[in-house]
Amino acid sequence: GTLTWFNSLLGFHRVKMKTPTKELNQVKVPAKILVADVKDVLESGVSTEKQEYLLKLLILSLIYLLAFSTRLFSVLRYESVIHEFDPYFNYRSTKYLVNEGIYNFLNWFDQSAWYPLGRIVGGTIYPGLMATAAAVYWVLHAVNITVDIRNVCVLLAPWFASNTAMVTYLFAKEIKDESAGLIAAAFIAIVPGYISRSVAGSYDNEGIAIFALILTYYLWVKAVKTGSLFWSAACSLAYFYMVSAWGGYVFIINLIPLYVLVMLLTGRYSSRLYTAYCTLYVLGTLLAMQITFVGFQPVQSSEHMAAFGTFGILQLFGAFNWVRSHMTPENFSRFFKTTLLAILAIAFAGFAIGVATGYISPWTGRFYSLFDPTWAKENIPIIASVSEHQPTTWASFFFDLHILTFLFPAGMYFCFSKLTDANIFLIIYGITAVYFAGVMVRLMLVLAPVACVLGAYAVSCTLQTYAKHLKKPNPVVVSASTSKRNITVAQALPVQRELGAIMLSGIAIMLVLYSFHCTWVTSEAYSSPSIVLAARQHDGSRLIFDDFREAYRWLGQNTPDDARIMSWWDYGYQISAMGNRTVLVDNNTWNNSHIAQVGKAMASPEDKAYEIMRALDVDYVLVIFGGLTGYASDDINKFLWMVRIAGSTDPNIIESNYYTPRGEFRIDKEGAPAMLNCLMYKLCYYRFSEVYTEQGRAPGYDRVRNAEIGNKGFKLEYLEEAFTSQHWLVRVYKVKTPDNRGGIVNL
Amino acid sequence: MSDITELPFSFLRVPQMRLRTPNIPRPSPMVVFWLVFLSYFLVLSGIIYDMIVEPPSIGSTTDSNGNVRPVVFLQYRVNGQFIIEGLSAGAMFAMGGMGFIILDKSNSKSLSIKNRYFLIMSGVLCILIAYNLCLVFLRMKIPGYMVTSS
Repeated sequence: GTLTWFNSLLGFHRVKMKTPTKELNQVKVPAKILVADVKDVLESGVSTEKQEYLLKLLILSLIYLLAFSTRLFSVLRYESVIHEFDPYFNYRSTKYLVNEGIYNFLNWFDQSAWYPLGRIVGGTIYPGLMATAAAVYWVLHAVNITVDIRNVCVLLAPWFASNTAMVTYLFAKEIKDESAGLIAAAFIAIVPGYISRSVAGSYDNEGIAIFALILTYYLWVKAVKTGSLFWSAACSLAYFYMVSAWGGYVFIINLIPLYVLVMLLTGRYSSRLYTAYCTLYVLGTLLAMQITFVGFQPVQSSEHMAAFGTFGILQLFGAFNWVRSHMTPENFSRFFKTTLLAILAIAFAGFAIGVATGYISPWTGRFYSLFDPTWAKENIPIIASVSEHQPTTWASFFFDLHILTFLFPAGMYFCFSKLTDANIFLIIYGITAVYFAGVMVRLMLVLAPVACVLGAYAVSCTLQTYAKHLKKPNPVVVSASTSKRNITVAQALPVQRELGAIMLSGIAIMLVLYSFHCTWVTSEAYSSPSIVLAARQHDGSRLIFDDFREAYRWLGQNTPDDARIMSWWDYGYQISAMGNRTVLVDNNTWNNSHIAQVGKAMASPEDKAYEIMRALDVDYVLVIFGGLTGYASDDINKFLWMVRIAGSTDPNIIESNYYTPRGEFRIDKEGAPAMLNCLMYKLCYYRFSEVYTEQGRAPGYDRVRNAEIGNKGFKLEYLEEAFTSQHWLVRVYKVKTPDNRGGIVNL
Repeated sequence: MSDITELPFSFLRVPQMRLRTPNIPRPSPMVVFWLVFLSYFLVLSGIIYDMIVEPPSIGSTTDSNGNVRPVVFLQYRVNGQFIIEGLSAGAMFAMGGMGFIILDKSNSKSLSIKNRYFLIMSGVLCILIAYNLCLVFLRMKIPGYMVTSS
């Protein structure tokens, strides 16, 4: 019954301490011998251990430099500038931290975002990134190396990528051995899945979060292998850093309990596991609650309940184990059944009360959509609209991982064929990472490190097998008949050394092809600053579109200081950081109904939109328009998302009104009247009918939708054009104020 | 005392049942590995993308004569695919992994030399074919792959 099952789990209770083998490459040589080593190398032959140590040091330094330098493409091509949208908010917060100090930063209430609601920045961000950049800035300034804060922010992610490579070396070394560590470090230095979020200029949480993730996992594996309190406490400190850095810390606090449960199920319970997990859970939860944004979630939200439940199960396991050693078997069986039932009943009742009263909050939408990917599409359009949240296709996997897609299952095979405590952790991490990366493209970032480590495991095992072939001499040809002696090793092939050489060179070629692919992908796909666009002209020269910065600077210089800007939420952070003006909605997207108001204003006809804009106190409206240049991520292409989000709070906005009767989304003469008269259409295409965009086409030809616009020559009644950037990418309109007697006057 | 507490239930007759929790044997590591391998093949084929976005299983274009011709690979986009395209690419990834596994199995004991040669050849062939076909597929999707433009 249950008792025999339980006994069978405990029956495999074995204490596994890794006895350090006295292999030559694990002897540590003090640094001061290094200088003498160099002289030794030059003069006479040097001992193998010193040679290996020097080689290891050389390889790790090269990997460090490689990881940093491969991420500098955009800095060398354009300039040292922050990319994308979210990094601009992080940059603005870091500037505030550096200028105002820590306490003002933690208590910062930002009045210039989410007008009129404001945003409690101190309590709604993960401060690890800003704290790290500020720490680097202060350290550099303390030694009188006065680097501008912008350059610190731009170059922080590449520097942390180098550190990640070093920690991955330690992680893989802990799981297998040093050769696997070196290969893993080399893989992760250039893997495109990680580069995409840590390139120079991408000043975002993931840049330091992956470093913290691998550090936490390395310290966890070390804690489980040694069972020491020191490593477990170090692991909780690394977990604290991860919690301060990224919301993805939920992955750690669910993966480690899952690992503990799997260890219990496979009968690998040990006191080391008990020590490691209890220390990590207690210290880690206490430390995690120090971050204001996390607050009391570790004891309240469903995402943390798995860790709590595993903590309880582990205590029960340890307690029953101890009681069993002190009782006769029949007494123990009675005790076990009654106590287990009682405790489970109490725990279930407690959990049910917690859920029913709402104390234990359910899974938040972001994480729930990882388990039910179809849920976000129907229920929360904002989550579904972000392109990073789409599921992953095979080409994204191959693009971001290259040969690691083949080496990943091979590494799993090698792990499964020789199961150890550390291997099981790697296996579980790999399985969960593959699933989550399949659900959301953005989580490819979490898959990249484990793919590198598993790939390194596979390559290292293969290389070790075939390098052994190289060392043994070719055997004498054995006769075809097999003798009856015991076969302890595989029969040696007559072409053993040649085979070893061929396999080694084959793997070397494969790794070289990997580095070619990674460098090409980094250079072509992941190094665009996205604040500056570039296009190739017919004669091959490059044309730069710097419209965004031009428009934001215009805003900062030519509008009143307290002007309110209405735009779609994508551009909020950039307007705040570069234009230094108050915005209505920004990328934080914490208030869905406020965004829906903006969407409703954009989707309504001009008079209705004017009422909404007056109610929201809007002074200027900013739209992004790509019809002249062919820039495809403009507001007309995002318009249907505005309609959907507006429709999620106001049932009068119906998406089908904006389609033609045949169900197409068009902006030419066939377009729906609701579409041709809405505010977004008018703001994008105002005066566009006077412009010739392409040879052989009528004026007003939209180069993104490939159609001539339907509603031409209209006038704006309630707004007037304030600014249009050089290539018509950014257009700013001023909202006219009403006069005393109800008409419209321009103030 | 126990007679009094049992009195209200004395008219019940307890059935003679022997219930025991089912004894599920623990699967061996290699069985678990092949399950993981299968799920890896499915996830890397983009099956989650197929379930959510529901693309057609194969695309089609009409050429100049009006014939409808099938298009296997969705061109010019890395973040879109057809179902068959995803499954064939996933099969290539699985074949590449199998190549490395075969190479390891070729070193096991109790194999004759002929069998060892055979396994090594097939392992190398699997890896080569899988890698090159993946490149062919990717070039069909993104014609500008590995063509430096600057």
